Amino acid sequence: MASVTFKNVTKKFGLNEVLHDVSLQIADQEFLVLVGPSGCGKSTLLRMLAGLEETTEGEIHIGDRLVNHLPPRSREIAMVFQDYALYPHMTVAENMSFGLRLKGIDLGEIDRRVLKAANILHIEPLLRRTPRQLSGGQRQRVAIGRAIVREPKVFLFDEPLSNLDAKLREEMRIEIAKLHQKLATTIIYVTHDQVEAMTLASRIAVVNAGQIQQVGAPTEVFGRPENVFVAGFIGSPTMNFIEGELARAGGGLRFKTAGVDVPVMGGPAGGPPSSLDRSGTPAVLGVRPEAIHIDRGDAPADGAVPAEVEVVELLGYRKNVHLKVGAAGAKVLASVGAAEGSEPGEKVSLRFDPAGLHLFEKATGRRIR
Amino acid sequence: MTESGASLESLRALRLHRRREALKTALIHGALILACAACVYPLLRILAVSLRPGDRIISTDLALIPQGATWASYVKVFTETNFLFWLWNSLVITVATSVAGVALASTAAYAFSRFKFPGAKLGLSLLLGTQMLPAGMLLLPLFLMIMRLRLMNTYLGMVIAYSVSSLPFSIWILKGYYDTIPRSLEEAALVDGTSVFGAFYRIVLPLSTPALAIAFLFNFTQAWNEYLVARVILTDSFKYTWTLGLFDLQGQYLTQWGMFAAASLLVTIPVMGVFLYSSKWLLTGMTLGGVKG
Amino acid sequence: MLAPVAQVLQFALLIGAFVAVLEGWLHYHFKYHERNWFIPAAVLGTAALVVFAALWTAGGGVEAGRVVSLAVGTALAECLAALFFKHVVKGRHSLPFMLLAPAMLGLAALIAYPMVFEVYLAFHDLKLTTIMAWSRTGDLPFVGLKHFRKVFTSSPLSEVGFWELSLRTVWWTFINVFFHVAGGFVMALLLNSVTRFKGVYRMLLIVPWAMPQVVAVLAMRGEFHSQYGFVNIMLSKTAAWLPFLKDVGVGPVQWLGQHPFLTCTIINVWLGIPFMTVVILGGLQSISRHYYDAASIDGASAFQQFRMITLPLIRPVLAPAVTLGTVWTFNNINVIYLVTGQAGGTEDADILVSALYKAAFAFYRYSYSAAFALVVFLMLFVSSMVWLKWSKGSESLYD
Repeated sequence: MASVTFKNVTKKFGLNEVLHDVSLQIADQEFLVLVGPSGCGKSTLLRMLAGLEETTEGEIHIGDRLVNHLPPRSREIAMVFQDYALYPHMTVAENMSFGLRLKGIDLGEIDRRVLKAANILHIEPLLRRTPRQLSGGQRQRVAIGRAIVREPKVFLFDEPLSNLDAKLREEMRIEIAKLHQKLATTIIYVTHDQVEAMTLASRIAVVNAGQIQQVGAPTEVFGRPENVFVAGFIGSPTMNFIEGELARAGGGLRFKTAGVDVPVMGGPAGGPPSSLDRSGTPAVLGVRPEAIHIDRGDAPADGAVPAEVEVVELLGYRKNVHLKVGAAGAKVLASVGAAEGSEPGEKVSLRFDPAGLHLFEKATGRRIR
Repeated sequence: MTESGASLESLRALRLHRRREALKTALIHGALILACAACVYPLLRILAVSLRPGDRIISTDLALIPQGATWASYVKVFTETNFLFWLWNSLVITVATSVAGVALASTAAYAFSRFKFPGAKLGLSLLLGTQMLPAGMLLLPLFLMIMRLRLMNTYLGMVIAYSVSSLPFSIWILKGYYDTIPRSLEEAALVDGTSVFGAFYRIVLPLSTPALAIAFLFNFTQAWNEYLVARVILTDSFKYTWTLGLFDLQGQYLTQWGMFAAASLLVTIPVMGVFLYSSKWLLTGMTLGGVKG
Repeated sequence: MLAPVAQVLQFALLIGAFVAVLEGWLHYHFKYHERNWFIPAAVLGTAALVVFAALWTAGGGVEAGRVVSLAVGTALAECLAALFFKHVVKGRHSLPFMLLAPAMLGLAALIAYPMVFEVYLAFHDLKLTTIMAWSRTGDLPFVGLKHFRKVFTSSPLSEVGFWELSLRTVWWTFINVFFHVAGGFVMALLLNSVTRFKGVYRMLLIVPWAMPQVVAVLAMRGEFHSQYGFVNIMLSKTAAWLPFLKDVGVGPVQWLGQHPFLTCTIINVWLGIPFMTVVILGGLQSISRHYYDAASIDGASAFQQFRMITLPLIRPVLAPAVTLGTVWTFNNINVIYLVTGQAGGTEDADILVSALYKAAFAFYRYSYSAAFALVVFLMLFVSSMVWLKWSKGSESLYD
């Protein structure tokens, strides 16, 4: 069990800098998920922690120990790879015990640990098989088993579920969540799938373009995204963005663009002065699809936005309504209950739930308020 | 035109088509059989000659099993020549060469497959470049070196002369194979506790046994069938490899034609068996380097 | 039977020890380059090692002066090496270089050094009359470009000159490769169009390639014997059976005596077709059936399909095979030497490389053939560079 610290870590491949000055603190027994689009540097960060990539600059600590120059074998970590990386020429049992045999641990102890891990993962019947004879899900379990038997301080998962089909992925996700509860060790988990991130993590670190965009609990990252990237990356369906300008009106702040005029802050009672100063700045309004209510017919309430329905997709329990908003015809997606009816071509008006509204500076993409 | 007339016509066309197809197939098979005969016939002739009785070894007889067929030539190969010595010499030299060649190639190919280092590309190209060297160009200095080291007529001299000749090819074959082994296997081994070299010999080498076997066979057949270098370095008939012995048997006297044929068959059959068995993989390996792109 | 085993064991031990010393030396240089005792220890250690090895291999009987000069020379060289490791290499890439070192050293000793040695030979005079003195003292008289002049003005054998040999080599290479590829294509297309017995045909067709070349060539040579060879037996039988053919000149031919080049070519074509067949067959089988389906729907004839689909799609397989085949054919001593190589043999079939081999090892003109070899090498080098540039073959060859 140990904490992990990245201190001002930079990684260059030749002249190409893929990680810029990353600092991150991971507490003992935490389940941290590194999430981001492919190529953002999240896997590189994990591989640097494992010792599979050199650290160009900065420090990496596991517990109190600086590990920059330690080879992977001395870092007391275990890693589960995307393609499982099971040794094809060894049986499942040999795969799982390989690391222990290298350490020269006595055979009785090895067997005990392998059986225990196999028991946890329900793979006892497979122990004598070779990886070739296993299904994808079984291989995944063996790979995790191989990590467990080593009793490492930190578990690293590098996109472990991305080679599985949707149903198995869901199953394994739950397995991994259970595993974390059972083992109570530090887990660092890399994925590009924000659903995995939301469901598994005790904390999420959103990575993009070689930088950590935001670190926080899932609810926090979802509820208060720090910037446009995080807002767009986390949540499904994706958040809608409308570009416009802030304007002061009646003591509050309104977001305006052609055909859209929404109160975003304060009421007649007024908002904080610092926010009011921003009137006139170009801004981006983010609206979660779940925070949009569709009113059929005209309802000229304050903040209602006229829109036209383009396409309606029925998902079964919900409906995705694709709308055109404002004079500029910005595309907006609303996720509504399946029972709500709206027809393509229909003129409707939208109400935005204030809790699902997010405001960002246009120039920097940073959150306002 | 009635409907039945039309179908009758199409039936006839179909029959004609079938007949033409059958003729085509027969012609193709005929051509192939002819080609096969041309490929195999010399071998069968050797068999015929090897079975001829002593007084009819030289004859214009074309029968595959000659009249009065006898094993006498085979017996004479063992009793009247140093054939067993030649085989033994060939075997020792070839095995030593192949082992050394594969050992050197396996590590070098790993360096080329897995590491980025200055000169890697150049090194690989130079390896291919050695294939362009005129045969016999290096033989002269090599011969003089071996002479000055007093290694003429020794196994060591032969092994040294042979050892690197198949190295470039072996390296390419093995590199091509290593490239297909996912890197994550070695990374998993590193995390599991091996050193980088440990990951190589515990994971990569055992997984590469097919390619190692192919490289070994390639080295083996090259050295086993070699003639020109041996001719220069070995002068003592007891140190001859079988290729030299065979050439001398066939050389001057037609009377030894029978023994030549018998000895040829004895060395050819096993080597050809191995070759035919492994040719598919050998070819894949040989063309892998060049054809991959 | 024990002696050879002991010799092999000794050989293995020698190689093992050699590799161990080499790796140890490298390891030291990679690992300790930052220590302040690095250079002195390296210089002393290496010099001691080399002197020890020299004394051991020479069995002790070496003059003191030589030992001293060896030690000093090694120390100087090691000094440079150590500085190089300390300031240029700095411990980087240690593993790949340690993995490569044995193979590279072998290649350097047995390919690079001989090439340098060959250049040295070409400018000096080593022949049968000077070789004894050379092996005692190691000194050779310098003769400058004399041998290079002789390459172009005199014959490497007894009659045939350089230019004639060059022309014949080009012709030899061209017709052989042409027939290899053409024959290979025919065989592969035939094989690819049958389903029954395909495996059997394939196996029988590669017999010439699978046979040890020495056996195959010598056996074929026997079949071209003027009296007892299959070819002439058949020819005279045909002539006896159809007398009118005799008038057109059909009858036994002195193959080895009068047409050695033709004989060698026929034998080599016979030997080389199987390789091309297998390569082309592999290429044909890798072409998806769908292309042909699409083409026949588009209305392409069989010949158009061959030209528009088969040829372009097989190019990536064929190009390297043809390049290799060309180099092999150019360098082919085996066939010509085995067919014509005996004492008093003809030189009407010789190409550059076989003349080179004979000049060195039948006529013992060492320095002359070194010069000859360098000229041939340059020709081959220049033409392959031009070829690579022209065909862009380098891309597919060098990955």
